[in-house]
Amino acid sequence: MIASVLSTISPGTILAAAVTATAVSLWLLLPKGGAGAAARWLGAALGVAALLGFIATGRRLGGLGEESVFLIVSLVAVVSGAATVVSRSPVYAAIWFALALAGVSGVLLVLGAQFLGVATIVVYAGAILVMFLFVLMLAQPAGLAPYDRVSNEPFLAAVTGAALLGLLSLSIGRLSAEPPICCQVPSRAAAVAAAAASPAAASPNAAATTTVATTPTTPPSAVDPLAENHVARLGGELFGRHLLAVEAAGVLLLVALVGSIAIVSRGTDAETGGGSGMGGDHR
Amino acid sequence: MNSLALLQNSLVVGAILFALGLVGILARRNLIVMFLSAELMLQGISVSLVAWSRHHGDWGGHVLVIFVLTVAACEAAVALVFVLQAFTRTGRLDAAAWQSLRESNLPRTVDRELPDIDTLPQTFPTLAPAGIRPAEDENELLQREHV
Repeated sequence: MIASVLSTISPGTILAAAVTATAVSLWLLLPKGGAGAAARWLGAALGVAALLGFIATGRRLGGLGEESVFLIVSLVAVVSGAATVVSRSPVYAAIWFALALAGVSGVLLVLGAQFLGVATIVVYAGAILVMFLFVLMLAQPAGLAPYDRVSNEPFLAAVTGAALLGLLSLSIGRLSAEPPICCQVPSRAAAVAAAAASPAAASPNAAATTTVATTPTTPPSAVDPLAENHVARLGGELFGRHLLAVEAAGVLLLVALVGSIAIVSRGTDAETGGGSGMGGDHR
Repeated sequence: MNSLALLQNSLVVGAILFALGLVGILARRNLIVMFLSAELMLQGISVSLVAWSRHHGDWGGHVLVIFVLTVAACEAAVALVFVLQAFTRTGRLDAAAWQSLRESNLPRTVDRELPDIDTLPQTFPTLAPAGIRPAEDENELLQREHV
């Protein structure tokens, strides 16, 4: 009977009610000093009701879960990104940037990029941000420096950023599901399929071939075509089609390592005439 | 959320992050905060690339984001060394300390008058007093004198 009553209400309403009931019941249950036993019993009952509500909504939420998760993680990313830019203390800016990284990683996970979501946390928050904090520890003067308390043309910079954001949002809002015929880029799988279907590409009916090639093989849907066997297929793509680029990236990492060490030691020699300066201790 | 809505939402998030980073790199004067803003722009680009990659069902965006990560690591290593060198030479992390490198026809950046840092009311983090004050034991106090 309860299930039939619940099925008439939309799942979003039930979820909101359950969340509210959870909050109220926890508030009632927490020790506050002087609260009667009746309030705690009411809290326990509300908690049980909230649990029932969560169970009732769990199966019928559908797309609502993904949407709310996306909303939360993107809010975290955007708010802490703004805090990164506007914090006066650079240390706080770095910490806010770590939170923005967590939000971006959540967005990437919602988008189905599992490997990249984890790699963002590991590489950025684990390595790059710690390096920033080390440099801040070495180079931060005591107290708030004057250049941290004043911005360089803040009004013009804010107008520039807002104008860019408005233009980008306009062009994003004008995106449609199907790109115009002139600008369609055939996906690789569709091109391969079209080439296999018609070996004679230079035939008089080339227009028909083009039409076949430009229709995407996977229609836009909520199902992520990259989801299954994600990391293995990403690795196959990376080390198959982009192998030379991977090797170039490895060489780039090596060059950056050697170059930074060379710059530090040369700068130390030029400054102090010896290896015992401040730069010598940085490594 | 269908594919197009997800694409548009992710692109808007990426655009917001990019614009925030742009504002930071234009307005802030601390070299390290400018670098953090540049990394924020890279994050916005990464979100956009992955969103397009999901929309088209192609791996190109993912691979490009991996290379963005790699280049960001290299760039951070080299650039932080430069920042350290700049700090050891000038004693400041100020971008305006290097304004002698500007074009000859550009005006000089003049700092606004700021209130002196000692006159500002400084706030330090404090711990809220918690618990009750323990009863003092006279014997223990005597022992502490001798430690």
